[in-house]
Amino acid sequence: MTHIEMLASCLLEGDPDKAWACIEKYSGSSKPDVYHNLMTPAMRHIGHLWESNEITVADEHLATATCDFILSKLSFGSEKKPSAGRAMFLCLDGEQHYLGLKMVDSLFREHGWDTRYFGPSLPLEYAVQTAEAWKPDVIGLSVSMVYHLPQLREYAEAFSRLPEKPAVLLGGRLADLYDLRPYCTGDTVILRDLPETETWIRHHVMGGQQSGTTEPIPSSPVFES
Amino acid sequence: MERLNLSLPLPCLKVNRDGRIVSYSALAEDHFDLSKAHIRSLVDEGSISKLGRISSESGPVPVKMELNMKTKKNPLVLFDVYLQWDTENRATMMFVQKDRSNEELIEKLASIQIRLASTDFELLEKKDELEQVLRRMDELSGPFIPLSDTLCMIPLFGDITADKINAISDSCLQSVFRGNYEAILFDLTAVGEVHADGIDKFIMLVKTLNFMTGNVIKLIGIKPNLAKELNHHHLDHWVQFNHSLKEELSTYLHH
Ligand code: B12
Repeated sequence: MTHIEMLASCLLEGDPDKAWACIEKYSGSSKPDVYHNLMTPAMRHIGHLWESNEITVADEHLATATCDFILSKLSFGSEKKPSAGRAMFLCLDGEQHYLGLKMVDSLFREHGWDTRYFGPSLPLEYAVQTAEAWKPDVIGLSVSMVYHLPQLREYAEAFSRLPEKPAVLLGGRLADLYDLRPYCTGDTVILRDLPETETWIRHHVMGGQQSGTTEPIPSSPVFES
Repeated sequence: MERLNLSLPLPCLKVNRDGRIVSYSALAEDHFDLSKAHIRSLVDEGSISKLGRISSESGPVPVKMELNMKTKKNPLVLFDVYLQWDTENRATMMFVQKDRSNEELIEKLASIQIRLASTDFELLEKKDELEQVLRRMDELSGPFIPLSDTLCMIPLFGDITADKINAISDSCLQSVFRGNYEAILFDLTAVGEVHADGIDKFIMLVKTLNFMTGNVIKLIGIKPNLAKELNHHHLDHWVQFNHSLKEELSTYLHH
């Protein structure tokens, strides 16, 4: 059994202690490494088990809750650094796949950002209100279900009308599978996974112009630290 | 495509090896849009390969699987699907919508998770507010007082912390540069505890003032604990110590 399969089975058992022990045994050193190379593949492996008819959606719910708990535990108590900027994270209305977004939130906090994480399903109206009041530098959106794509443009357009012109980042399962550019605005930055996201954060700190996947992005050096 | 004459309590379809629907029950017609006459058009794209694989691996023994289906009412509904091949190479499929009770439980779970997250937010907001109040208090603990055209005074109240000195430094420097003072007094009578990083910042402020204005900076009301700290810093060149406020006032206000 690979480490990924082992974690997946701990999550499916709903045993947070066992899952935690499994993560501690993993030789990967940094949190981004654990998110990208262990937890994300474990959740996807769970998707594979469902497709192979070995588990049910109810099992996935239990695994999700356990994974969520582990994530909270992992990202708790990141030391407060001087703020690199403000970022808010949300899923489109109706979208319940928030685990990836939560990892991204944690990644930004690791890099010293002040963040607000809204988790699943945030109605556009509320998202815009919050953005107007809190004035984030970055708004991160996550989308996993094809059925939610039509709403994406509405969100992206509303955010690009904000007076402070925050950078709008788009990620989630679909970003890695399809070209999502037709569904958002020209200035939306599409990021396919955590290494790309981390590269974006580093460029942002250095004040560089960025455009997401339209240009090849060098693989990230960060996953070693 | 023909309608089955049996009265069945569940939606039921018969499908051939290509996925074409050959017959359907009355309830199947109620639930699903059958106009395309193909099973593919009823199954969510994330479930299609699952259906393909599981059905092709199965034989005359019935199999059960979960699939997300498109219904007339809802674009994505989870069903238990029972499938069995017959001798004519047709699969009979029966559809049982997943129990609602499951969903209720799941919604409760979600609402608890959301509550946890929002409690977190409330705490964060309170923390933000508190930090602002603290900052405001720090700013008020070092008011700038112009006593005459040539003399100004900054009394410090409370503990000397780095945060406090940072909070007062800006307005203090600006006020001093705006005026034309010959002497700057820091009144330290009301100082409580002294933190090492606070003293460092304070000395930096004093040095900056001295450097920018060329004036002598006077520290009055120094208590023994503060004197001990300040001694390490060899300030004698550009700072005068411990005249009383009275002395200073008489020098600067009566000439
Ligand atoms: C676990 C899971 C669930 C969990 C939810 C998990 C959660 N809270 O996140 C539960 C059980 C609740 C669930 C429910 C459902 N699910 Co589901 N689910 C999955 C599963 C198995 C894994 C998803 C996952 O957690 N991946 C791991 C995370 C970490 O990866 P990620 O989201 O891609 O995120 C990474 C990157 O994309 C990136 N990223 C993510 N967000 C962002 C944002 C920004 C700004 C950036 C920069 C980067 C970024 O960083 C992450 C870190 O690596 C997938 C199968 C699969 N292969 O993906 C199905 C899947 C996504 N689900 C599916 C479906 C259909 C459903 C349901 C409709 C099932 C049902 N009938 O109940 C519901 C719908 C809920 C809803 N309305 O949204 C389908 C979607 C099909 C489609 N047509 O789009 C899938 C593909 C399964 C399938 N084959 O059918 N699901």
